Amino acid sequence: MKRVSGVRQRAGTAVRATGRLLLGLLLVPVCVLGLVLFALTFLSSATFIGLIILPYAVRLNRGIAGLGRRLAAGWQGRPVPAAYVPIKGGVLARARAVLGDPMTWRDIGWIASHIVTGILLAGLGLGVWGTLGFDLSLPLWWSAPLPEHAVYLAGFALDSWPRVLLTIPAHFAAVAVAGSFVLPWLATAQAALIRAILATPERILLAERVAVLTETRTAALDAHGAELRRIERDLHDGAQARLVSIAMRLGVAERLLPADPARAAQLIAEARLSTEETMTELRDIIRGMYPPILGDRGLPGAVAALAARCPVPVTATVAGVDRLPAAVEAAAYFVIAEALTNVARHSAAAGAAVHVHGDPATLTLRVSDDGRGGADEASGTGLAGIRRRVAALDGRTDLSSPPGGPTTLTVELPCG
Amino acid sequence: MRVVIVEDNVLLAEGLALLLRTEGHQVAATVGTADAFLAAVEEHRPDIAVVDVRLPPAFRDEGVRAAVEVRRRHPAQPILVLSQYVEQTYATELLAGGGGGIGYLLKDRVSRVSEFVDALARVAAGGTAMDPEVIAQLLTRRHAGHPVSTLSPREAEVLGLMAEGRSNGDIAALLTVTERAVHKHVGNIFMKLGLPPSDSGHRRVLAVLSYLSAV
Repeated sequence: MKRVSGVRQRAGTAVRATGRLLLGLLLVPVCVLGLVLFALTFLSSATFIGLIILPYAVRLNRGIAGLGRRLAAGWQGRPVPAAYVPIKGGVLARARAVLGDPMTWRDIGWIASHIVTGILLAGLGLGVWGTLGFDLSLPLWWSAPLPEHAVYLAGFALDSWPRVLLTIPAHFAAVAVAGSFVLPWLATAQAALIRAILATPERILLAERVAVLTETRTAALDAHGAELRRIERDLHDGAQARLVSIAMRLGVAERLLPADPARAAQLIAEARLSTEETMTELRDIIRGMYPPILGDRGLPGAVAALAARCPVPVTATVAGVDRLPAAVEAAAYFVIAEALTNVARHSAAAGAAVHVHGDPATLTLRVSDDGRGGADEASGTGLAGIRRRVAALDGRTDLSSPPGGPTTLTVELPCG
Repeated sequence: MRVVIVEDNVLLAEGLALLLRTEGHQVAATVGTADAFLAAVEEHRPDIAVVDVRLPPAFRDEGVRAAVEVRRRHPAQPILVLSQYVEQTYATELLAGGGGGIGYLLKDRVSRVSEFVDALARVAAGGTAMDPEVIAQLLTRRHAGHPVSTLSPREAEVLGLMAEGRSNGDIAALLTVTERAVHKHVGNIFMKLGLPPSDSGHRRVLAVLSYLSAV
């Protein structure tokens, strides 16, 4: 049994490899087109018209190279990374961008080489199948009106039954076994060539990554600064001002006490009331900085508390959130809090669901409701705030809210 | 005294008005913006204006800038600036125009009603009232090798009180020494800082502040 499944697996691999080689062959005419167009535009780029067209030719080649990458990725089971210089700006800036991008030249190099290698590799692969087909079709040849009426295989004339019974199966088996090695090897060679030329070198990818990180880090610092300013305002205009007014009232009461105890008592009562308001306000500010329940109960408890506080019935599932960085936890909390506030305010939903799932690399949050949908990112600050907060941690925000609902907000936060 | 209150926070404006009225003063107007402040000074010509530093729309230092503007138009208009935090830079700006009748205090000080009322009266009379916090900032900013660092601890203390706008008599009472001793300290301070001696309270402050902020 095991042997049979091994044979079947081998045959399957050979068939898949053949598929890759055939796809490669299909790409050859496309490559010819891309190469010719690029050559023409490049030669004419001394003229202004050529400069205008050049980026389009490059974009076409990027597309063709993309197909090549998918060809290799499909065989090797892992993507071929690509990072291009964005094509934007005026005519000259665009032309300079595409000509300065080393990937432009890698693309064109591969396209040119693939015209040869694509035909060569596919030809070799098809040769294997052709031979097998020839073996199977041999019986037909006897009836064919060939000159000497003799058929040769591997140097043997098939002129007697023992020879036929021995030579054909033996030849077929030998070619099949050899093919089961050669076909995957050909596909691997094709994929390796694609990866060698078309995968953007590590250092370029790293440079790209640094650029992205610099941007998100700036966003994080901005968000942090805005947050600090907000807290300062809240404290300055709220709690601190209240404390000053309390102190004033108590000061006046102190002065009035001997002469007008009744008025003094009234001022003291006002001051006490103001103290209580100050405490409420401080609590709100503290919750805005770092929700105490996160510290006490972790994310599961905090999400449960948010769900319980929401006027719309919410079902919450939380899994795999044992060891999250504090910043990710806090961001997750605010995203869910903000999203549930939006659900309660705008969705007219009968129910909502919060789904939190963490694995070592990513924390995924999904907040969905069965409300009227049509959430507009431009209209409120809530969604923009979520997006900013998530971007600051290098995460992703995705909102789906067709008119009529349902609305689903998905946020991914990297934890590493 | 007729007072104009410039404070956008209703709670604090009410508190101030309450306090001033209880102390027998008259609140001519309570306004919440820098423009209204300028208009109220033109209209009421108050004995003193009490101004918050942060005002709408941006809630930064509108109060300080409005105060400087009022002083430019009416150099003798006494102004007491109140704030929830003090910045030595603001003090320097307020004092830059010269002349007395300027005060700059933390809002916290208001609850010590009698001291606040004293400061108010002092500023209205053309004196100065600088918050001890401002003085502390100025004194901690001194560099090694600066003449201020040659002052004895007692002299530094006296300089601080002087800078708040206290008279020699006040300082003597606060430090429980004789007025003669204070006089001697002041003389030493002026000598060490290279300042010409002067009797007038606010001019001493101006001299001290301008000298220190010029570092």
